[in-house]
Amino acid sequence: MKNWFKHSLSLLKHELKRGELTIVALAIILAVSAVFSLTGFSNHIKNALVNESTAFIAADRVWATSRPLSENVKAKADELNVNSATQVFMTSMVFSEERMVLASLTAVTDLYPLRGDLLVEQEGVESAVNAPDINRVWVQQGILSKLDVNEGDSIEIGNKSFVIQGVINQIPDASFSVFTSGPTIILHFDDLQETGLIQPGSRIWYEYLYAGEPSDIKDFEEWVKPQVNESQRWYDIKDSQSSLANALNRAEKYLSLASMLGIVLAAVAVAVAGRRYAQRQQSVVAIFKAMGTSKQYVRKVYLLHWSLLSAVSIIAGLLVGVLLLAIGLNSVKDQLQIQGQLIELYPLLVASFTGVICACAFAIVPLKELINTSPLSILRGFNNKALPWYAHIPAISALFLLIWLFSKNLPLSLALVVGGLLVSGVIMLTAKLILMLSRRAGAKAGKSWHLALANLKRRANENAVQLISFTIAIELLLLIFVMKGAIIDEWQRQLPADTANRFLVNIAHDKVDEVEAFIEQHNIVSSGLYPVVRGRLTAINDVKTIRRATKEDETKDDTARRGVGRELNLTWRNDLPSENKILDGSWWQQDSQSAQVSIEQKLAERLEVSIGDSLSFQIGSDVVEVPITSIREVNWNSLQPNFYMIFNPKVLSDFPASYINSMYITEENKPKLQEFLTDYPTVSMIDVEAIINQLRTVISQVSLAIEFVLILVVLAGSLVLVAQVQASMEERERELAILKTLGAKSKMLNLSVLYEFVALGAVAGLMASIAMEIAVYILQTRVFDMTPSLHLSYWLIGIVSGALFVGIVGFLSCSRLLKLSSVTLIRRTM
Amino acid sequence: MNLSSKTIDILQNVSLEVNAGETIAIVGSSGSGKTTLLSIIAGLDIPTSGEVYLKGQALHVADEEARAAIRGQYVGFIFQQFLLIPSLTAKENIMLPAELANMDNAEVLAQELLTKVGLSERGDHFPSQLSGGEQQRVAIARAFITQPDILFADEPTGNLDNTTGAQIENLLFELHQQAGTTLVVVTHDPKLAERCQRQVVMNNGHLEEQPAPLVEVV
Repeated sequence: MKNWFKHSLSLLKHELKRGELTIVALAIILAVSAVFSLTGFSNHIKNALVNESTAFIAADRVWATSRPLSENVKAKADELNVNSATQVFMTSMVFSEERMVLASLTAVTDLYPLRGDLLVEQEGVESAVNAPDINRVWVQQGILSKLDVNEGDSIEIGNKSFVIQGVINQIPDASFSVFTSGPTIILHFDDLQETGLIQPGSRIWYEYLYAGEPSDIKDFEEWVKPQVNESQRWYDIKDSQSSLANALNRAEKYLSLASMLGIVLAAVAVAVAGRRYAQRQQSVVAIFKAMGTSKQYVRKVYLLHWSLLSAVSIIAGLLVGVLLLAIGLNSVKDQLQIQGQLIELYPLLVASFTGVICACAFAIVPLKELINTSPLSILRGFNNKALPWYAHIPAISALFLLIWLFSKNLPLSLALVVGGLLVSGVIMLTAKLILMLSRRAGAKAGKSWHLALANLKRRANENAVQLISFTIAIELLLLIFVMKGAIIDEWQRQLPADTANRFLVNIAHDKVDEVEAFIEQHNIVSSGLYPVVRGRLTAINDVKTIRRATKEDETKDDTARRGVGRELNLTWRNDLPSENKILDGSWWQQDSQSAQVSIEQKLAERLEVSIGDSLSFQIGSDVVEVPITSIREVNWNSLQPNFYMIFNPKVLSDFPASYINSMYITEENKPKLQEFLTDYPTVSMIDVEAIINQLRTVISQVSLAIEFVLILVVLAGSLVLVAQVQASMEERERELAILKTLGAKSKMLNLSVLYEFVALGAVAGLMASIAMEIAVYILQTRVFDMTPSLHLSYWLIGIVSGALFVGIVGFLSCSRLLKLSSVTLIRRTM
Repeated sequence: MNLSSKTIDILQNVSLEVNAGETIAIVGSSGSGKTTLLSIIAGLDIPTSGEVYLKGQALHVADEEARAAIRGQYVGFIFQQFLLIPSLTAKENIMLPAELANMDNAEVLAQELLTKVGLSERGDHFPSQLSGGEQQRVAIARAFITQPDILFADEPTGNLDNTTGAQIENLLFELHQQAGTTLVVVTHDPKLAERCQRQVVMNNGHLEEQPAPLVEVV
């Protein structure tokens, strides 16, 4: 074995045993295990949720279009092992021998649904099925009552007769078609042609469903996306279900922010402990060099030594991370179906990379200094001077790199790093000022306080540096604490206990009174009834909009404006609905006699319209022209009927409308609603409880992850504190020796050390609270899109916990020293 | 030496020649420049002006790496604070210079030296498990393992009580005689100085030869 290799190994073995490297190793282990477990945890949870949620769109991806897709799309899907199914939607009158009803028809291919269950009851037995057989249909209960038919009877759809094979209890993707007209009938796609319902000009909507392995789906998506035109939609569950997507995105941001801050703390711990270690190793390097060792030899010894330490710590961190991940996933296995490997490549790579950055970037300057130690130091003493400002560049760059890696947001990372540096500068100045003032106050206090504050003042520079790390540690802890509260509160606000879990749709005008009476009778929380009129936007300021924005049409009519491409659900109201906010213009006066429309902000942007522009709508055979008088922001996450266009009653109230309503039905009221629906079979009900429950599951799981991150950040913060206290240990040892020799009593020394740390902690807590408040404001307004709030109660927590935390950690770290006799202390410091 | 705007001359007009196999003591009061002289003649530092040769090699023009190589080849050290490497055992500390010089029989030599300095049973102990005297004996064994041509000892008994100090002195001179090593000792201790063939006194940066009947001046 090469000598340098051997020396390096014995150095590592011995220093690990002596505990000199414990903090460095722990900090790296913490950072790596945190990154691995959190990245893995959030990936698994996200995949599991998306997998479960796909049931709500019956597929992994949907291509919705008003024209059939060409055969080569299906061929491409087959080629990539992606399953596909087709759904065709239309509305048509359906007949029994004596009656007729307007029904929503869905023609599906064999594999429908690709995700989730289509539950159908046949002869009293419910089962999950796919498409019905040829010449057969599944129908919703409403069809049976409206047509006065039973299972096994025949109904006429277009030119073809069908036998009712079963009654639909659940359509997986029904929640997303609140605005359907009439109860649904599902028939086989191959029967559609014979019905003769597809004719030029008939209103048909196609949804092509795709599902498969994530990587295949991804390949397919890449092939599809460039072909999706403006009148079509390509979406997955995240696009379609914004509440869940929002909760997930915010949770992900929070988790990555928190783990990032945890890593920053761990990195600071590595930096502090690494510097102390390098200082303590100077004598070894000087001896090596005095004995004639070349610098290259020393470099090899220490590089290998540090690399081995890093590698061992990273591997240990990964092992701990796998364990934590396994525990975390095990705790959610009852609520979520976790799929895939426990150990995935991405978290493994990110975690290892974080470990390498922590181990190298934050220790490179101290190590470089160590390797440059002059052999003359053995005679002249060692260099413990503060580092010049530029020596911090590698660490700061690494910090930036880490933050960028985790936030994937360049301006945010820059802002955090530059902001952090400015804050550190301010803290440094403030700390010096406070320390100077406290010295004066201390002169009037008791002996122990006097000594404690005098010590603080004397080591003002070192203490200011310590204060910065204490402050940053406490600030980040407070930040994570406050944001956790704020995020979970906001979620709970968004999903109060009485969140609407049912939609009633297709309420005919003459049934409005009955529905309102039912709501009132049972004290049901409801959104109120909204009339719905279907209409098509045909012109903006008298310029025709593109009806179908296919490429072919565009070339035909260059002057046409961009339209919506489908029929819109229009409503009218006197009052602005809750969860809607006027951004521009103003809401109309009650009973205003002039025609007005309020448009949703994003649609207004897409249509390039503003206040005063006039919109023309085709409603049935009539055309109405209305000026835009307000632009609204709509909270699409709220589970209530939301509309792009709201008119004042004057414009629409004469058109025939159906009504829609969302309500919260308690367990107790469920049978009553069922009864009501049996009495009024023309009213359809959509159950969104499953979505809400899933959202609640997400929130509780994510809250769990957030608690976990909090523990992690506290651990990292403690490591920084211990590292900082240890860094000042040698000097403390010398001081204690002198004070003890001069006759200072143990009790007084104990108290003085305790007070010193308590004072440091309290000051750090105060500054941390102020810094936290600023950071929370920025995060709430810039990152999480939340309403900013003040957190004065946390200031007290910050100061008290800072004093306690730093006091206890500092005192405990020094307690070993305090117990030593003065003789031992003197010997040790000679 | 440049101290901000002032320049202080620590050594002035110093001329010293040491012959192979000689023992020489550098004595003088604190701050007289003894340690600076030692650091320069041992090649740990270079003078701002003047010339230093060790075994015919010009140290004053050699860079740090070249001086390290020269030290590795010819020089051994013993320090007041012993300066053993805490992470290596007594035996490993002794073996270190031999290993650095790529000698094959480092372990055998170290064991022999451990026996010579009376620590044959303590080879596996770490410096923190040894007393001051024992640590200095390990340091002496370490200094002799490569049989250096010249050995520099900086206050080798400074941190030890009288009895232990005397034992260390004996050991030092015994090994010197056996190996024929040139010995340069910086010391406050007049007894230690008297045992050397030559004594030079540093006084405010000037060097004066102390006439002694037993010393042969070259």
